[in-house]
Amino acid sequence: MIFTPVGELAALVRAREISPVELAEHFLERLERLGPKYNCVVTVMRQHALTQARRAEGEIAAGRYRGPLHGIPYGAKDLLAMAGAPTTWGAAPYKAQHFDFDATVIRRLEEAGAVLVAKLAMIELAGGMGYRQPTASFTGPCVNPWDANAWTGGSSSGSGAAVCSGLVPFAIGSETWGSILSPAGYCGLAGLRPTYGRVSRHGAMALCWSLDKLGPLAQTADDCGLVLDAIAGADPKDPTASERPYRYETMDDKRFRFGLIPSVTEGCEEAVAENFTRSLGVLKKIGTIEEVTLPDLPYEQVTRTILQVEAVSAFEDLIGSGGIASLTAPEDRYTPYAREAILAQDYLKAVRLRAVMAREIDRVLRHFDALVAPGRINEAPVLGQEFRSAIGATAKDVMGAIGNGAGLPAVCVPNGFGVRGLPTSIQFMGRAWEENTVLAAARAYQSLTDWHTRHPKVD
Amino acid sequence: MSEAAKPDGEAEALFETVRLRYGDRLTPAQLEELRKIVAAQVEAARALRAVALTNADEPMQSFAPYRGDER
Repeated sequence: MIFTPVGELAALVRAREISPVELAEHFLERLERLGPKYNCVVTVMRQHALTQARRAEGEIAAGRYRGPLHGIPYGAKDLLAMAGAPTTWGAAPYKAQHFDFDATVIRRLEEAGAVLVAKLAMIELAGGMGYRQPTASFTGPCVNPWDANAWTGGSSSGSGAAVCSGLVPFAIGSETWGSILSPAGYCGLAGLRPTYGRVSRHGAMALCWSLDKLGPLAQTADDCGLVLDAIAGADPKDPTASERPYRYETMDDKRFRFGLIPSVTEGCEEAVAENFTRSLGVLKKIGTIEEVTLPDLPYEQVTRTILQVEAVSAFEDLIGSGGIASLTAPEDRYTPYAREAILAQDYLKAVRLRAVMAREIDRVLRHFDALVAPGRINEAPVLGQEFRSAIGATAKDVMGAIGNGAGLPAVCVPNGFGVRGLPTSIQFMGRAWEENTVLAAARAYQSLTDWHTRHPKVD
Repeated sequence: MSEAAKPDGEAEALFETVRLRYGDRLTPAQLEELRKIVAAQVEAARALRAVALTNADEPMQSFAPYRGDER
């Protein structure tokens, strides 16, 4: 059952060849036994999970099958509120925080019959305070299952580690800038950043109101589509959640038109660039690739400025009170103070430029199904060392700046290994609301490659 | 002093607002880090300011008047 994609597990559950209770017991045992090894679990939800699994088992036995997530265990990044369990936001000041309601995503997955087995570790406050190292969580750094000396990426670190090590079939993460694609890429998983507004953020910790998105990490792009189908949709409790309907459709046999920014591998590690070039060769079997030129705009400065200002506003109580002194990463204890020196006029310039950026990138993307690029510029960073990041302006990430700044969907899947034996990845970024198109492209890529079938030795 | 090493007046002034507000909470080493971070922020702001916009370039964020009984 370990590493079996959700779609395949669902078929076994529906045929009653595996029971939801068996599945829950299996993954709970793994979470309890291996979770500490990867430092990826905050709370194992044993009683809750078994209650949900028994309900699912009874419903399926009675012929009331809800769909492909019915009876499937999953984990949630610990920034999603859930009644009856702590919601720590990965940060020491919130270790004992409880909410008396469930996040909409948790509720939607329950309605789909999925079984929440664990709340998963994350970078403190989703990385919005300026962290520069993997240890920036009160639970410590998540360990990459491919290499005990490597990090998982963040801020959805536990979501990456738990799926990668087969502790859950899928997990929910969040992305403001890079927090789904980073752990997915570094752990060799599929990770989907939906269009901004596709998934309700009600009950999720707010880092940046205009940038935060929730999405899945799983073994395959197809699994990400199955999960998105369950969690997407309007929500009166989140005015940014779109009324646009969403149903996952696989778009089999589609031919694709891919766009490529010629300089997109600049700054990438050599193996990342080589693997990406090889991936382009695969993509030529399913479509065309054309070079694109983007307008000259300060993409990274736009998204970074918005992120920094919104984040310190969202946490003005913690920052103003000096509570950030109790955060884990030393740099998180003072960096937020600097954000108060960003002038209102500069912030508004960034917000106005964001509109230009969104229009310009859509003008480019309307001719393509997806822009393709390496998912990450490097293999997973080493534990115990500072890493380079676009948010910290120590690394380039134009795709991330555009995608997050303009709220565009992207999916990342593995495309090889680097010199240290860690996964590398490719991302597909599409027009707003085109999750099915980017998922279809990633799915087609995965149908021609076997990188997603390779897994670390975890037991 | 070389051109590159000249103090940036704007960055220094903005850093000073941070130091005045929060300096009593911070160590000298943290303040020095903040000085560099503020300088980087000013560089980013200059990249934003360098792009010309027109009067018609609005922020892409919506505001809706509120009536509680219509929600």
